[in-house]
Amino acid sequence: MLENFGYIGIFLIAALGFAISTITLPILLRRFHIVPKKPNPVKSSTYECGMDTVGKSRVQFNFRYYFYALLFVVFDIQVVFLYPWAVALGELKLFGFLEMLAFFSILIVGFLYAWRKGVLEWK
Amino acid sequence: MVVGLEHFLILSAILFSIGLYGALAKRNAVVILMSIEIMLNAVNISMVAFWRYIAPALMTGQVFVIFIMVVAAAEVAVGLAIIIAIYRSRETVDAEQIDLMKW
Amino acid sequence: MNLYLLAPEISLCALAIVVILLDLFIGRKWILGVVAVAGLIVPAAFTLALWGVNETSFNGMLVVDQFSLFFKLFFLVIAALVILSSTDYSFKFSAFRGEYYALVLLSAMGMMLMASTRELISIYIAVELTGISLYVLAGFLKDPKSSEAGLKYLLLGAVASAVLLYGMAMVFGLSGTTHLNEIAASIPAGGLLANPALLMGIVLLVAGFGFKIAAVPFQMWVPDVYEGAPTPITAYLSVASKAAGFAVILRVFYEALGPLSLDWGIIFAVLAAITMTLGNVVAIAQTNIKRMLAYSSIAHAGYLMMGLAAVSTLDPGALGPSGPGALVFFLAAYALTNLGAFIAIIAISNKIDSDEISDYSGMARRAPILSLALLFCLISLIGIPPTAGFIAKIYIFTAAVDYGLIWLVIIAVINTVISAYYYLRVARVMYLGTPLSEERVPSSWALRAALAFACLGVLFLGLYPWALLRIAETAVSIFP
Repeated sequence: MLENFGYIGIFLIAALGFAISTITLPILLRRFHIVPKKPNPVKSSTYECGMDTVGKSRVQFNFRYYFYALLFVVFDIQVVFLYPWAVALGELKLFGFLEMLAFFSILIVGFLYAWRKGVLEWK
Repeated sequence: MVVGLEHFLILSAILFSIGLYGALAKRNAVVILMSIEIMLNAVNISMVAFWRYIAPALMTGQVFVIFIMVVAAAEVAVGLAIIIAIYRSRETVDAEQIDLMKW
Repeated sequence: MNLYLLAPEISLCALAIVVILLDLFIGRKWILGVVAVAGLIVPAAFTLALWGVNETSFNGMLVVDQFSLFFKLFFLVIAALVILSSTDYSFKFSAFRGEYYALVLLSAMGMMLMASTRELISIYIAVELTGISLYVLAGFLKDPKSSEAGLKYLLLGAVASAVLLYGMAMVFGLSGTTHLNEIAASIPAGGLLANPALLMGIVLLVAGFGFKIAAVPFQMWVPDVYEGAPTPITAYLSVASKAAGFAVILRVFYEALGPLSLDWGIIFAVLAAITMTLGNVVAIAQTNIKRMLAYSSIAHAGYLMMGLAAVSTLDPGALGPSGPGALVFFLAAYALTNLGAFIAIIAISNKIDSDEISDYSGMARRAPILSLALLFCLISLIGIPPTAGFIAKIYIFTAAVDYGLIWLVIIAVINTVISAYYYLRVARVMYLGTPLSEERVPSSWALRAALAFACLGVLFLGLYPWALLRIAETAVSIFP
């Protein structure tokens, strides 16, 4: 039990050391004048090798994303039932299989509903 | 130090209290939903801990947790849908401004 | 695993799916209501066919006995009445009738499962199936009030179910099982005060279930949700959701926590006194009729909890019915009465487009039959003969006296007198006020049939209560 925590401790020290050294090393190199200081606008921009950002980052998304997210959440979470079912299918035999079939056919009704109501179309 | 049942129960009680505080004190409806999720997950922690330490022979505790997760997802989906409906008509998700009816 | 025992629920679920699919593929939406009501005959027939069976299935999770079958039939009848009375209301959401009927059916299925499980996981699933369907129904209309009702109901309901789950986790942790009868066997001796963890579990369970039955101090959602929700759904909430809550409380507390009945009996007695007093006193100040009936529903939760406080003792020398028997009878009487009142309100508010009591002025001349029905139901809510409400109150008061709760009965009688004031105020406005216009109030045949059923039921139970009382006593005879 305790030696497991020992490994975690070593990882923790290594991670902290890496983080601290990457922050302090440039500062130290600059302080002892090992690297020169030559700033220019391109170098000091936020994303040196990317695009400049346009507008504010707090914009409103189209609420259609929400529909997709909601549908995804509802259908995705049902997969949770599949794992224990798949593990125990050998013991459950045919009844377990039919039960899962019934479960999925009810889910498909929900999917059919979303499809017929046009939720899946991006208008 | 050996981690025992009581540690899990204390963690779960603290999380539950944080969630309950959030659900009762926060103003944004989405944040309230998130606090409710914290409460449910606190229950999950104590359920799994009880299963592991009290009744490890039966799968009941684990199955209960799976069902809680699924039902919570359904609940949040409905909650977000209602919040979208309110936002579209009122342009706010602030629980203190959703007050057409008061005694 | 005997699937036939689950036939009522399975057929009801199939009916809901059929309604959803029909809604997707047909144009004439009025067919959906007909299908929904007519289809309810199938699960009702299965329920009647199962009458007398006393078996468990699914490893003891599902139990079919008189108690669960009685409540199944009860929920099916209420669902049918609610769908019938919705026909006059559905013009407000004409494009979404299919979803509406399907959700009513699904929540009825959840309530039926609530009455017939004896295992914590399935109780939770059933509670949530009912709850989530009702959250959507409460927020079904497009207007902001309804959405607000839906949101409040959902947020508070989710908090309540989290609290309920925490209580279930405590009980599971103390007993190591989720089956109610096994929990009863593992309850330690020495009562609640010697077992603080169990006390905490029971308090959390009472809080979680107290939300469902609208008991003080978990009643703050009731007025807002009842006012904002579509009126048929308000009726459904006040009647079926409450009855399902009481059914599951009876099951959990008698089967799992029976050895502690002295302890939780007193909790319910105190809650009953507070609940009925608060409900009746605040109802006096209301000007909106749906809000007034919401507080009246809180007050009735208080009367109903007297049946829980008067724990069944099976004392052969007792004067009247047992506490649970009187509770079940009261539930049936209250259901018919309240449904009748709400159905009359649906028809009237469709015409005048308002729920303010002052707008009911002179309604007796514009809608004589509807006003008479509403008056009759209000009289039953007060508890004046010859109505079901009178008999129900007599029974539940007698049960409480038999159990020795004289102080509670005195409080209840005082409350009944207070309640007469605000119910009769509506009657005075309707019969003595001057009409705001001379236009008649229209109503459909479906709504009239539902109203007639409710009012005749109230009258029948008021004149001839023995049959239902005997059924109620048979239903609760499964509890020790």
